[in-house]
Amino acid sequence: MKIRNALAMSTAAVTLAFAGSASAETWTIGITQNNVGVDSYQTTYEKAFIAAADANPNVDAVVLDAGGDVARQIAQMEDLIQQEVDAIIIWPTNGEAVIPAVRKAHKAGIPVVVTNSNIAEQGFDFVASFSGPDNITQGSRSAEIMCDKFKAMGIENEARVVQISGQPGYTTAIERQKGFDDRLPEVCPNVTLVETQPGDWNREKSQKVMEAFLVKYDDIDGVYAGDDNMGVGALNAAKAAGREGIIFVGATNFSVGYEAMERGEYWGSIYQSPVDDAEAALETSIDILNGTEVPFLNYFDTPKITQDNMGDFTKPVF
Amino acid sequence: MAGLTKEQIGGFLARQGILVAFVVFMIGFTLANARFLDPDNIMGVVRSSAILGVMALGVTFVVISGNLDLSVGSMMSFSTIVVLDLHDKIGPTLAIPAMFAMTLCLGAFIGFLVGYLKLNSLIVTLGMLSAIHGLTLTYSGGKNMDIADKEGTWFKVFGQGDALGIPVPILLFVLLAVVLGALLSKTPFGRKVYAVGGNGTAATFSGIRRARVVFTCYLMSALCVATAGLIQASRSLGSQNTVGQGLELEVLAAVILGGASLMGGSGTIFKTVIGVLILGFIQNGLLLVGLQFYVQFVVTWVIIILAVWLDIAAKRGKLWSPIA
Repeated sequence: MKIRNALAMSTAAVTLAFAGSASAETWTIGITQNNVGVDSYQTTYEKAFIAAADANPNVDAVVLDAGGDVARQIAQMEDLIQQEVDAIIIWPTNGEAVIPAVRKAHKAGIPVVVTNSNIAEQGFDFVASFSGPDNITQGSRSAEIMCDKFKAMGIENEARVVQISGQPGYTTAIERQKGFDDRLPEVCPNVTLVETQPGDWNREKSQKVMEAFLVKYDDIDGVYAGDDNMGVGALNAAKAAGREGIIFVGATNFSVGYEAMERGEYWGSIYQSPVDDAEAALETSIDILNGTEVPFLNYFDTPKITQDNMGDFTKPVF
Repeated sequence: MAGLTKEQIGGFLARQGILVAFVVFMIGFTLANARFLDPDNIMGVVRSSAILGVMALGVTFVVISGNLDLSVGSMMSFSTIVVLDLHDKIGPTLAIPAMFAMTLCLGAFIGFLVGYLKLNSLIVTLGMLSAIHGLTLTYSGGKNMDIADKEGTWFKVFGQGDALGIPVPILLFVLLAVVLGALLSKTPFGRKVYAVGGNGTAATFSGIRRARVVFTCYLMSALCVATAGLIQASRSLGSQNTVGQGLELEVLAAVILGGASLMGGSGTIFKTVIGVLILGFIQNGLLLVGLQFYVQFVVTWVIIILAVWLDIAAKRGKLWSPIA
């Protein structure tokens, strides 16, 4: 106990020394991430976060990764509280299980920013702000992209659409589907959404689902996939079956989706950059520490990308 | 049917109960959606079942020898990622043998642990499931692997090509099934596999080197997994690190559904193929019927249990056990 206290005091002393020497205030911001290395999005996010923190002379970052393990994330939260960091950013491994740890940080007076995917509602009282993408808006924007294309093609009164959703039970999957389902009839009331089946965020699974759709329906004009990985799986199925002229719209533009757009096979998607995601999380925490008003749901913008405007975006790195 | 006696029909049912179950489901799905029997659909299902099927062939050997292999899903992700990565680095001609060599090394390692060190296969392969997953992630740095030139490469032939009007994945599956089926039923090695799984002690006293047989079974499993990885990589020319996740249980389900005993000593390649097709057609049939997804989970398992029950009922000639 003594050693730990001494450590905490020396950390505090170092922080103070830093604060004293810098012209502006220096903040120590701790982050515990979900599972770096498991996919390119999270890998890129971590790199971008470290780069953004390095670029800001007023920020000292403590970067941790829970490796997808809830218990480890809770332990990391406790470590960060112990270290008396100024703010904690958490990318929850599980929206429910981390709430007690978030509450503990809140009680210790440390503001907590949730990044990328939110924790469950009963934990909202202990969270300073959520920084991440707005998945419902992403779903509605995909519906708009699809509808605009149908209108340009003159088939907005008879087009039939199938949907391949993300893994059942995941918030991102549910919200994107809701956004799409609600918005499509508003913008294109005569377009029929004939069926929705999950592709589990998996390219191979979506290919299978799309193969079944192609057998079942002779007439498919559009496919909405919950992310580009699944969208490209569906595209592969359509290409193998020789079915042309189907409009593919996805979300979370992956490099495979971007390339398929370059080849003219895939119409559009939603551009969600892990770099923007990481920078927004850091920005949000700094704003909170500086006392700037921040909305509770602090979404960063995820614009529409189609074959028409893709020149304005760099190819995603993941 | 006129020339057959009741005993002959009964005997056929007892041997091929699972085949009967298969036919019953096919008729059921066809009644629910006429398109189920569309040649394109049948071809599509068999083609996408080929990956699972090829893996199940290898696992059949392992299961008959009295062991388990839960590492095949992770191992398939590994081979897929490795061959995709090497494709752009050293070209497909070298990438394919390199990937086979690396996958076989993993199989040899597992075979050594289970065969020669006599470690429990459940523990070893369950451990390897996460270890190989970690290896794959370390190798790829977590990134999705994609081939740069998707249009120009001949590598796509294994997953997307046709020969004699039949998709190449199906040909590979059939070819492997015939070769491995012959190996299992027509050669001394095949009989040794049954002997080791049926009664290991007796096998040892008959002069069979158990360790070597078990080791070879895991090599066969790895060989099949590498082939599955090749088909998978070539089919989508790009992959996530988790592409094979969960397949180990589907593979095991197909093998058991085919009638192989988890205790070892029984099962055939032909019945495993039927098991694979049942799983493939159930998935496809439920999609075509358009059942809500959450219901599909439940229905899949109801059908599998029904199939196993029909199989057992046919074997004992009664719907329920007389000594309950």
